[in-house]
Amino acid sequence: MIDFLQMTVSGIAVGSSYALMALGMVLIYKASEVPNFAQGEMALLPVFMAYMLIYTYGQSVFAAFFGALAFAMFLGCFLEFAVVRRAKNPNILGLIIITIGLEMVLLGFVSWKFGADQRVMPFPISSYSSFMFGNVYISTLDLLTLVAALVIMVSLFLFFRFSRLGVAMKATQQNETAARLMGIRTNRVKMITWGISATVGTVAGLLLAPVFMEPYMMWDPLLKGFAAAVIGGMTSLPGAVFGAYIVGIVEHLFGGYVSMEYKAVVAFAVIVIVLCVKPSGLFARHYVKKV
Amino acid sequence: MDMKRSYYDDVRLFSSGVTVFWFVALMAFLFFYPFVFTNYYVYMANYIAINIIVVVGLNLLVGYTGQISLGHAGFYAIGAYATITLMTVAHFPFLAALVCAGLIAAVFGFLLGLPALRLEGPYLAIATLGFGLTITTVIGRIEMLGGRQGLHAPDLVIMGHHLTSDRQFYYLAVTITVLLVLLARNITKTKVGRAFIAIRDAHIAAETMGVNLVLYKTMAFALSAFYAGVAGGLYAFVLRFIEPELFNLFLSVFFLTMAVAGGLGSVMGPIAGAIVLSFLDLQLRNILSIPYIGDWLRDLSASYFSLTGVSNIQFVIFGSILIAIMLFEPLGLYGLWIRMKKYWKPWPF
Amino acid sequence: MKNTLLAVLMGALLVLGFAPAGHAEVGVTDTEIHIGQWSPQTGPAAPWGAVARGTDAYFKWINANGGIHGRKLIHHYFDDAYNPAKTIAGVKQLQEQTGMFAWVSGVGTACGLAVKDYLMERQIPWVGPSAGSRHWVTPPQKHLFNVYPLYLGDAQLLTEYAVTEMDKKRIAVVYQEDDYGKQGLEGARHVLEQHGMELAAKVPVSISDTDMRPHTMKLRQAKADAVLVFVTPGHVARLLGTGKAMNYEPQWMSTTTCGDFPLMIAITKGLYEGVITASFGMAQPTGNVGGIEHINNPKNKLMAKYKTEVYDAYAADDERWGYTFTTGIGLAEPLVEAIRRAGRDLTREKLVAELEKMENFQGLMGRITYGPYDPDDPLCRIGQQEIFLQQCTADGGSKILTDWQKTEFIPMSE
Repeated sequence: MIDFLQMTVSGIAVGSSYALMALGMVLIYKASEVPNFAQGEMALLPVFMAYMLIYTYGQSVFAAFFGALAFAMFLGCFLEFAVVRRAKNPNILGLIIITIGLEMVLLGFVSWKFGADQRVMPFPISSYSSFMFGNVYISTLDLLTLVAALVIMVSLFLFFRFSRLGVAMKATQQNETAARLMGIRTNRVKMITWGISATVGTVAGLLLAPVFMEPYMMWDPLLKGFAAAVIGGMTSLPGAVFGAYIVGIVEHLFGGYVSMEYKAVVAFAVIVIVLCVKPSGLFARHYVKKV
Repeated sequence: MDMKRSYYDDVRLFSSGVTVFWFVALMAFLFFYPFVFTNYYVYMANYIAINIIVVVGLNLLVGYTGQISLGHAGFYAIGAYATITLMTVAHFPFLAALVCAGLIAAVFGFLLGLPALRLEGPYLAIATLGFGLTITTVIGRIEMLGGRQGLHAPDLVIMGHHLTSDRQFYYLAVTITVLLVLLARNITKTKVGRAFIAIRDAHIAAETMGVNLVLYKTMAFALSAFYAGVAGGLYAFVLRFIEPELFNLFLSVFFLTMAVAGGLGSVMGPIAGAIVLSFLDLQLRNILSIPYIGDWLRDLSASYFSLTGVSNIQFVIFGSILIAIMLFEPLGLYGLWIRMKKYWKPWPF
Repeated sequence: MKNTLLAVLMGALLVLGFAPAGHAEVGVTDTEIHIGQWSPQTGPAAPWGAVARGTDAYFKWINANGGIHGRKLIHHYFDDAYNPAKTIAGVKQLQEQTGMFAWVSGVGTACGLAVKDYLMERQIPWVGPSAGSRHWVTPPQKHLFNVYPLYLGDAQLLTEYAVTEMDKKRIAVVYQEDDYGKQGLEGARHVLEQHGMELAAKVPVSISDTDMRPHTMKLRQAKADAVLVFVTPGHVARLLGTGKAMNYEPQWMSTTTCGDFPLMIAITKGLYEGVITASFGMAQPTGNVGGIEHINNPKNKLMAKYKTEVYDAYAADDERWGYTFTTGIGLAEPLVEAIRRAGRDLTREKLVAELEKMENFQGLMGRITYGPYDPDDPLCRIGQQEIFLQQCTADGGSKILTDWQKTEFIPMSE
């Protein structure tokens, strides 16, 4: 029983970083209707930027993290403005390839600048300290990630519900033409959505970096985040978070009780099963296609 | 224009004498290629030919049927492993093993096509991606297939001839490629191809018109998997040693990239994509040995980036080329070609 | 069409431009010896790219000191991104267009196996593949000389030490799912069987997996008191960190791959202290057991010399002086030594003969011995079978635990 509890808690812990990636993916999918394969690298570049601010320019950790988040906002906006928006009559496949191209360019720049060696990101909290509830451990960093994921989800919810910009974003997602007719600058709204998405991803990156930092650090979280977003229905923010926790918990329970070899891929088997039952994910509203 | 009463014209291999001429010229070029070029370029041609097979197959699925697959490395792996295993364990001759391997891959394609019936867009992307990752994990667990330690390819013998050099392999690979490309071209012109296109453009309308969605969607997956399987079988003999890690997600993404950047929904597009991107893939590593540019890049790295990571410039260039192609022309290289043709057609007026 | 024309022209130029140079041996001219090498400079395996850069700096240093018998070593290394298809392409291009006299090192088992037949059929010497795999000597090849000690040996030595010296009762193995990991598992089992013991747990790690929590849980459940880890440095760092967070701290032990203590201390933020790893050199344990060696301030004279004369003078500014870099030097040493011994009149045949005569040659690594070619005896090409154990100190130094130990070769089961 204690094992089961521990696995569930660890699953939730790892699910939190997937959740942040999934949130970023969902935001962009809702705005531009593309699964964004550059999501991981949009976080990678700011994370390495923070590293550079700390080591090359001697900034404090907090200043560097703040700088990274601001840079992520800028990067997201820039990519949408300079690249994605420029696509002529884009179809979904073309957009996917564009995001793959962006992924390569960003990853290329990071590895070009920093080389392949592992780095060490300073962090105010030691990644080795942990809390103990009874016999169940959770590391402080995991707890922080969990809190960050929940805070971000709640603030996104409030943002979409109560702020003018948030409502404009929702309107743009639901019906772009109508939104434009209502005087919303949909292009600008999309651009800001990309910025927010990159910022959310960067939070995940900054929380992963103290444990493990190298140019390929975001691949696994990206794939799992994508998986989580799809389970949640790709257009639903709570769905993405819920999907992320499902992926995390299933991985850990499966790894603990059934087989460690298949742990890394079990998430995808879960997806296929979920999708067979609910083809557009757990939380997406079923849409009717007009013929 | 008369009403079209039969599709015979579509199925004909050559629509005019000009086509025959170009076809013969191409065949002659392919035949003499190994005599003109050094062995290295022959190897490159083999690599490209194999990629062409996969991408043409993938195009049947993505370009014609409108599905998406991020799991083709999985079929590729199945083909590679099945070919070697059939030859070493069941002592099949090479060609028979290759065809059987393609069929085995097709069965898996059919099976993957079943859940795909209900999925589309990102949902299908993630499901196929999961398939690609799972299949290599499963192969890595099977001791008969060498597990994670890999598998050596046996000698390649066709009708008593040992194929050892790249030149000999070239004729084998190119023959198979040409046959499979012609097959794909003809499939797209037949009832099956028209059903695929109908599904891509409007699957509900297609079903109303009597296109059997279950049959044709799974068939598209199976066909596409067959192509990937055959290509995988050939690839195993190019490398002569295979292990599960070779068939990773990057490979699946690379296949899709070649298909889309080449231009979906045409036969020539994916071929162009496979040629250009495989060439870049193999040749970009030499970028630092280009005179002047290489030195300039090194200087740039030394001042602003790092010298140890300078090779990563390949990613930057490859990614930029992909973005550029897709931004300028959603139909990829094929679209560029069409545009160029249109532009020059009335020349010199 | 333009491109095709260009390609045809270039092809013709290539054919014409590389007419035979009128020399006895490919890749050897009056002033130059061409040596090839592949390594991943990009992609997830890029940290091993430092091996090739180490060899490169080493060759530059040799050239600056007059070369070998009046010839300079021209080093051609290319990036294959750990993709065998690219390895083949690069090897063929260099071999056929420039002409290599021999190949040195080369990272990766799959990459090496993809070109092994090609090189062996053409009787091109290849010294020191940079991966400890039994494939290199199963069956032994006349022109392929292994230098890198097998991971199998690491596992044997570590297990033996844990059982006899540290009196550990429950030994677990964490292994990466490939040749590297499987050798570790096999070696550990082999030794435990001799002691009538069994593995407490075996935990597989898939390379793409970044989350080590369930693996650590498994180890903790099994109450393992010594854990042998056969994974990448990054995974080791995460395993140790997760273990620490879970209050689980067994004796961690690892391989030569994770023996770069300054790096490991940095990426684990000091957690690596006390970890025992195998080592294939870079320090001289004989007469120094119990002593402490620092890679940045080496006591070993040869190492100190390479640090100042090779690394400081020829490595790029952002290169790290670490084990990957020095491995590049160590793997090339036997080749350089054999070329030197072969004399001015250099041929491949002579090179192979000199390598075969090599007995207890010691450079940066352990003693290297080859024998006359015998297709049934893997040991005639295995080169180095000795390793020793070291323990990490708080500041990244290596405390030498044992002298050189000879390990047993276990043939591959087919």
